[in-house]
Amino acid sequence: MNALQQLPSWAAVLVAGLALMSAVLAFSGSLGLLRFRAFYQRAHAPTLGTTAGVACMVGAVVLCFSLLQDGLAVRALLIGVLLLVTAPIGLLLVVRAALARDHLAGTPGIPPWDDDLEE
Amino acid sequence: MDWSHAPAVWLILLPFVASGLAAIWPRRWHPGYVMTGTGALGLAVLGWWAPGLLDGEVVRWQHAWMPALGLDFSLYIDGLAALFALLVFGIGILVAIYARYYMPAHYPLKRFYTLMLAFMGAMLGIVMAGNVIQLVFFWELTSLVSFLLIGYWHQGESARDAARTALIVTGGGGLCLLGGALLLGHIVGSYDLGAILASGDTIRNSPLYEVTLVLILLGALSKSAQFPFHFWLPQAMSAPTPVSAYLHSATMVKAGVFLLLRFWPVLAGTDAWFWGVGTAGLVSLLLGAWIATFQQDLKAILAYSTISHLGLIMMMVGFGSTLGVVAALFHVINHATFKASLFMAAGAIDHEAGTRDLRRLGGLRRLMPITATLALISGAAMAGVPLLNGFLSKEMFFAVTLGSDYGTWVDTGVVLFAVLAAGLSVAYSLRLLVGTFFGPVSLDSPRSPGEPPRWMRVPIALLSLLCLLVGILPARVVGPVLHAAAAAVLGAELPVYSLQLWHGFTWPLVMSIAAFASGCVFYVVTRSYLAEREATAWIAPVSARRVFEWVMVMLTETLPRWQQAVFPARHLQVQLRVLFGMAAGVAALVLVQFAWQVPAPGRIDVGLAVLWLVGSGCAIGAARQAKFHRMTALMLSGGAGLAVAITFVWLSAPDLAATQLLVESVTTVLLLLGLRWLPKRIPGLVRSSPRTRRRRLGDFLIASVAGGGMGMLAYLAMLHPLPDAVSRFFIENALPGGGGRNVVNVILVDFRSFDTLGEITVLAIVALSIYGVLRRFRPANESLGTPHLRLQAKGGDPAMRPAHPGATLPGFMAVPARLVLLVSPFALLFAVHLLVRGHNLPGGGFVAGLAVTLVLIVLCMARGVRWVEARVRVAPLRWIAFGWLLALATGTGAMLLGRPFLTSWHGSGTLPVLGTWHFASALFFDLGVFAVVVGVATLILIALAHQSVRAPIGVVRHDDTEPT
Repeated sequence: MNALQQLPSWAAVLVAGLALMSAVLAFSGSLGLLRFRAFYQRAHAPTLGTTAGVACMVGAVVLCFSLLQDGLAVRALLIGVLLLVTAPIGLLLVVRAALARDHLAGTPGIPPWDDDLEE
Repeated sequence: MDWSHAPAVWLILLPFVASGLAAIWPRRWHPGYVMTGTGALGLAVLGWWAPGLLDGEVVRWQHAWMPALGLDFSLYIDGLAALFALLVFGIGILVAIYARYYMPAHYPLKRFYTLMLAFMGAMLGIVMAGNVIQLVFFWELTSLVSFLLIGYWHQGESARDAARTALIVTGGGGLCLLGGALLLGHIVGSYDLGAILASGDTIRNSPLYEVTLVLILLGALSKSAQFPFHFWLPQAMSAPTPVSAYLHSATMVKAGVFLLLRFWPVLAGTDAWFWGVGTAGLVSLLLGAWIATFQQDLKAILAYSTISHLGLIMMMVGFGSTLGVVAALFHVINHATFKASLFMAAGAIDHEAGTRDLRRLGGLRRLMPITATLALISGAAMAGVPLLNGFLSKEMFFAVTLGSDYGTWVDTGVVLFAVLAAGLSVAYSLRLLVGTFFGPVSLDSPRSPGEPPRWMRVPIALLSLLCLLVGILPARVVGPVLHAAAAAVLGAELPVYSLQLWHGFTWPLVMSIAAFASGCVFYVVTRSYLAEREATAWIAPVSARRVFEWVMVMLTETLPRWQQAVFPARHLQVQLRVLFGMAAGVAALVLVQFAWQVPAPGRIDVGLAVLWLVGSGCAIGAARQAKFHRMTALMLSGGAGLAVAITFVWLSAPDLAATQLLVESVTTVLLLLGLRWLPKRIPGLVRSSPRTRRRRLGDFLIASVAGGGMGMLAYLAMLHPLPDAVSRFFIENALPGGGGRNVVNVILVDFRSFDTLGEITVLAIVALSIYGVLRRFRPANESLGTPHLRLQAKGGDPAMRPAHPGATLPGFMAVPARLVLLVSPFALLFAVHLLVRGHNLPGGGFVAGLAVTLVLIVLCMARGVRWVEARVRVAPLRWIAFGWLLALATGTGAMLLGRPFLTSWHGSGTLPVLGTWHFASALFFDLGVFAVVVGVATLILIALAHQSVRAPIGVVRHDDTEPT
């Protein structure tokens, strides 16, 4: 904890705020996963954590370590970028699978499977 | 005497190097030249040493091999070893020349000569061994090469059977010999031959003497095809004739004799020795001669005659008298010359006439006069005709039997049996020679015979000439060699013997005449009877071969069936229950001691506790769902794995955490691939009956006890105060000694790199085995069908149909596939990063390899195996080979610089752009680990992934209609 004491107080507040924000976002995302009824709604909830939550956390990290160490600590940005690229993969696959199931089961009110391939 | 020692190691290496050379010999030249040249070089070295060896000097060479175990690689060449080496090289040259013309050019000649040279090396290894363990090693090597050579025509079932029999018998004998050698080492306190030979009284007076003797005898008798192990030799005649001439008459079968002579100074002279060796020899002598008389196949006659002659040699060794040793050595030389020559002559006849059957041969004297003359000389030597070498050693044999003093009836019996066996050998020699070369010309042979090529006759001629020379001028020709060999065995107490043709009218001469006369009479009387005879009289029903086969059937069929009947094990669960029950029992015995002193846990970390609650919940859930919801179970076990990974992070072990994470991912994917082929749940099959519930309760108890026990064990181990263990050394020496700050990695690639080398070797073997198993694997019929989701879509939705088997669904993967492509270069870069920084920061070859694998897996999932294989050149076997060889080369590199195997070097330097660069040679080792891991994981992945691409044998894939 010693290193953190060297942080200026304005920055400490900012970093703490961002980190807390991130935690709240991730938590509410998880809560949503638990509370929402329909599958498609539930699929959306955790993305809150992986997008906005991660963005806040990365901001906090960049700010904190840029001040503590010399120069701009941008390495953490890489985490954000990679998560941004990879997170949709999981979401897409899960939703696609659910869609396919509903499609086959003939559940009403389901969007068409794939417009391009229907021809 | 240093001048003579250095070449010893080259002499033993020479045949092995030549063997490798023969394997890659250019097609333009005949590989036979390699063997001829090797033999000639070997003879030259022996000639160079000859003056010293004949004076009784011993050439020794030693290299510390495993000094901690008292094992040195040492060579010990005295007169005895030199005599056998002379046979190995001399007969080797002649056989090489002979085989050059005997073996047709379209046969796999390189394999033949490679194996023959390997045998030459192995046999030399036996005779030159200066360490008994080393001797056993080469002993088993000759068995192995002999197995491969007997099975040279492996397309034939008889050759395969014969090879297997020979391997089982001689290999088993070798194991006994190993036991004997270990006991010798235990008694003497050293495995060094010199030390063992110097402590004869210690060994003979040891309470372990009898056991040692029996074990060594089992080795010697099985190798020399002595009763009751004689049956493998006649079967081994399905090998090509040059092999029979070289291995199975002149050299390898004499290894048993060599062994007994080698240990003669320390083992012989007791009653046990006389009864053991002498009886086996006598029985083999009579039995071999008797059976040989009834054979119709030339090679079979020669094989049984070999058994008989080896029995004669054994018997002389068994007498324990010094004259017996001299006679045995003399007969070893003589038998090698005339028998090898006869085998080659038999091969020449087979080559020309196309048959070896006595009933279809005859009158060859007129068609191949030169071969006939040569064979007659060697055959007469076998029968013991005067003026030939066989006569002299047989006379010496008679003299030895006359010198027997083990009580009246034994002595009389021995003399009588000796004459009887000699008479039989005259009879079968006559049958062989007269039946083949005399009488009317047979028109029955498949080919019209003529003289074989000149160079095929030259080796036979040389050996026959030797028979004559030794027979007429024995003292001049073999006197010094025999003297040196006998002196090596007997030391100073050489008996009085004279190598002369004429000793005057003595008892041995009378016995010779009696044997000769009785043999001739026997032949004349039984001639027409034997010509028709198929089986051996009197003993045919009791064949040792049949006993052996019965034992084999017993061991491989009857016993296992009985065991299966007694312990029914149709269900894996039964075996697992027994296994875990036993483990739990043993563990309980140990744990009970600690039960009263379980230390209470200290401070509980709430975060970690919650994490572990989640992890345990996942694990229990996985176990609960494992039976009917495999997918769920798999996901839950993944959750448990993640909990473990987070624990590692929590406890500041990022290395382990990264590895765990990657292993978890790879395992989950591989298991998912396997899930597809597990049988489906049959609805309504399982009803919950009281019996089922009872069984489940039992299973639950076993699981709880096993899991709880393991947990308890871990808990105790962790709370146990650590002794001042080696870990402190690792932590303190990682940077100064290994040049790395990442202690885990330094341990893996430096301190414990030998272990790591072994581990990656095992890994590679496992991967190859998995590939080998899966290559032929076809899914069970019930899981063949298309997955039910796809089946529902059939006919309805074209989008739910993949373009071809193994491809991903078109709509599904479009976006993820592109995203994966986008990320994979970065992931690969990250893997390289992990590899390079591994020595100082979390990372290393293992993790890096897993990372690369994960990229490939994700690509396979997103785009399909076919797509990946078409675009990424994955050659897992090359990766494995490259990695393993690199790791090995890193280790050997240290040896080249005069350091022990796998010593690492580190230092730092300045590189242009990159700045200061700290470098450790262990990086290369780590690179090897990396490559092996990549290769292994990819190989398994491909093997699994191909399952879905491949159609089962004989079943047309009907469910995936081709899109038109």
